[in-house]
Amino acid sequence: MASNPMQQFTVHKIGPEIKIAGIDLSFTNSSLFMVISASTVLLFLFLGSKEKKIIPNKIQLIAEMSYAFVAKMISDTAGSKAKPYFPFIFSLFMFVLFCNMVGMLPYSFTVTSHIIVTLIMALFIFIAVTIIGFLKHGFKYLSIFVPSGVPVVLLPLITIIEIISYLSRPVSLSVRLFANMMAGHTMLKVFGGFVVSLGILGGWLPLSFSVALTGLEILVAFLQAYVFAILTCIYLNDALNLHH
Amino acid sequence: MTIPDDFKTRLKIAKSKIKKENANENEKKGSFLGNAFKLGTELVAAVAVGTIIGFILDSWFDTKPWLIIIFFFLGAAAGMLNVIRAANKMQKEE
Repeated sequence: MASNPMQQFTVHKIGPEIKIAGIDLSFTNSSLFMVISASTVLLFLFLGSKEKKIIPNKIQLIAEMSYAFVAKMISDTAGSKAKPYFPFIFSLFMFVLFCNMVGMLPYSFTVTSHIIVTLIMALFIFIAVTIIGFLKHGFKYLSIFVPSGVPVVLLPLITIIEIISYLSRPVSLSVRLFANMMAGHTMLKVFGGFVVSLGILGGWLPLSFSVALTGLEILVAFLQAYVFAILTCIYLNDALNLHH
Repeated sequence: MTIPDDFKTRLKIAKSKIKKENANENEKKGSFLGNAFKLGTELVAAVAVGTIIGFILDSWFDTKPWLIIIFFFLGAAAGMLNVIRAANKMQKEE
């Protein structure tokens, strides 16, 4: 058994090495679990929308609930203007949620516990939101860096602070998801290691902790997907409805 | 398509019940926890971004270590701004 709690995060190649233009594009266990998560989402939604009953069965109910959940989240935080972005936010939410949840299964790999994965998603959102802002408002979008009602003397300072605050969005978005997932899974492994090393006499206490932590981790897995999606909505709201 | 009238009324009652209970209890709890997770990284991320910008500008203009110091504090200010904004948003939602 793996005694190193960080060993669960190692990425290794599956199958042959693929190199295109000097970039390593090999299929890894990380990519495998991304494929598994994405296809689980597709399968779940396919089964959920296959039989359109008036009285839904369980899987249809869950699929409809997730749809309504995201739709309500978007209309609450970003208003009706954000309706066209529903497909993007819904797929983002479902992908992150299923990556986190698949990671909770024993012997699996947590895709979102690598900062490069979360950073790419966050950077994509950040760049997309910036482009949307400029497309909707033109150069007036730059006025989010200049809050109203600030004395002229302080304006340069405030503008720099606002720009830093704007640039910190992808960092906080990605670090939050990555840190929560990695810390949780490391903790689970550490407590699992305690159970083994303390044996049958002393192992019961860490075992009970482990059970409790698993429950907490499932909550965190859902919550982080929720926070990721809701922050995307908030950023989208800033870009669509320009006011401060 | 035939929906029994009895079922319709029962559905109506159940829906209003769900609305009352869930809106008050579960959703608020969930968003509170979500907000709590949001705040911590908000502060740290801005400090990190500020420091990195300072570091890059320093190596561009050869002004080590001044810009990194200035931008560290600007980053801290931006982090506080982020937290205050997030907290204001939470209060509005209540």
